[in-house]
Amino acid sequence: MPFFNVIKWIVWKDILCEMRNRENIASIFFFALNVILIFSFSFAMDRDVTQAIIPGLIWVSFGFASMLGLGKSFLSETYNDCLSYLQMAPVPKGAIYLGKLLGNLLVMVVVELFLVPLFIIFFNLNILDKLLPFLLILIFATLGICAVGTLFSALTVQTRAREVLFPLLLLPLEAPVFISAIEATAGAFRGDPIALYQHWIELLMIFDLVFIIVSYWMFEFILDA
Amino acid sequence: MMTLRGMKLTHLYRYHKVLSEVSLELGPGECFALFGPNGAGKTTLIKILSTLLQPTHGSIEIMGKNSREHRMEARRFLFLIGHGTFHYDDLTVLENLEFAMALRGITPSYSALMGVLDRVGIGPFALQKSRYLSTGMQKRLALAKALLAKPNLLLLDEPYVSLDEKGMKMMNDCIREFLSKGTSVLMSSHDRAKASEVSNRAGILQNKGLREVPLGELTNALF
Repeated sequence: MPFFNVIKWIVWKDILCEMRNRENIASIFFFALNVILIFSFSFAMDRDVTQAIIPGLIWVSFGFASMLGLGKSFLSETYNDCLSYLQMAPVPKGAIYLGKLLGNLLVMVVVELFLVPLFIIFFNLNILDKLLPFLLILIFATLGICAVGTLFSALTVQTRAREVLFPLLLLPLEAPVFISAIEATAGAFRGDPIALYQHWIELLMIFDLVFIIVSYWMFEFILDA
Repeated sequence: MMTLRGMKLTHLYRYHKVLSEVSLELGPGECFALFGPNGAGKTTLIKILSTLLQPTHGSIEIMGKNSREHRMEARRFLFLIGHGTFHYDDLTVLENLEFAMALRGITPSYSALMGVLDRVGIGPFALQKSRYLSTGMQKRLALAKALLAKPNLLLLDEPYVSLDEKGMKMMNDCIREFLSKGTSVLMSSHDRAKASEVSNRAGILQNKGLREVPLGELTNALF
């Protein structure tokens, strides 16, 4: 069966299920919203301080919130043993990985797009003219987070210590994404010319590419392990 | 060509041996009923034959394709109705059927989908989420998937569990339909009477080995 059809059907299934149960969207959104509220009331910030710490705050909230969602990505496949059906399906397993990855990416980006205006309001940010480069950073960083998260969600879903193992494995591997995303976001919010922080975006792109290729290749072994 | 050839299948869970050199061959249109006490390894054997589990030793060929070397090709020929229903709770009955077929590269028409749901008696529930189906109706949905998938090898793990009298009769009617089309069926069951209505071979899995029993002696065979 055509490779892209499998991806399409997996995305369709994941998005439809998510729209109906709103399990992931709700948990990601409310976790991030809590972080925004707590930080906005914790610090009395002037404009300079805000500009210095906001990239870190954004990626702390997006990063930890994504863990809630990505951790559940393959958990839903264990209900009614659906994971076994995916395993037995006579299709390239890499296509299943890419489908799950795209589904996770869509959910994450949608939630992040709802959260960005809240950051602007609560932290009184003046970044409307810097939104375009920020959106670019947001998409590449979220792709990196989802690429690793989807793989480790599949890897840990059948282990007993899943709740502990998932963040333990995920966080060290995602460190380069967070560092690059924070540095690039800081550059964008400062209004620097893109040439000054372009290398961070390039690093994000390289990371995305490497992890998608490695995960695509490893997924079959993980699913059939 | 034999549909299924399981050769000297041995399986260990860590150091605990569950199966020891179990061999089994199934030709087209044959139905093999597998019996045995709880914990004998029936589900393990079915998991191995369905390629969900790799045996510690031994090999399987499905339609001549070795399940280790040509796993994806071998999987094309088989379908499993197991303890898990493989349904997504948040998808409707129709969507579940559509998705399951899409993963096998089959895109049936709406009338074909509805036809098979009517055939297994859950047509009126087509637009209901599968989470609201009873266990028996979920099994009927699994059977509907198998009917559309038209596999060469159908593996059934305790197919009569949760089904009412009418459902069991329908299950056997469907098995007969599969057999008439040349599909090989292997089922594990505790219901000797129901299973022997459709089986033409039977075996007892006990003491880690498989012992084939003539159908006539099945009711008296002890385990």
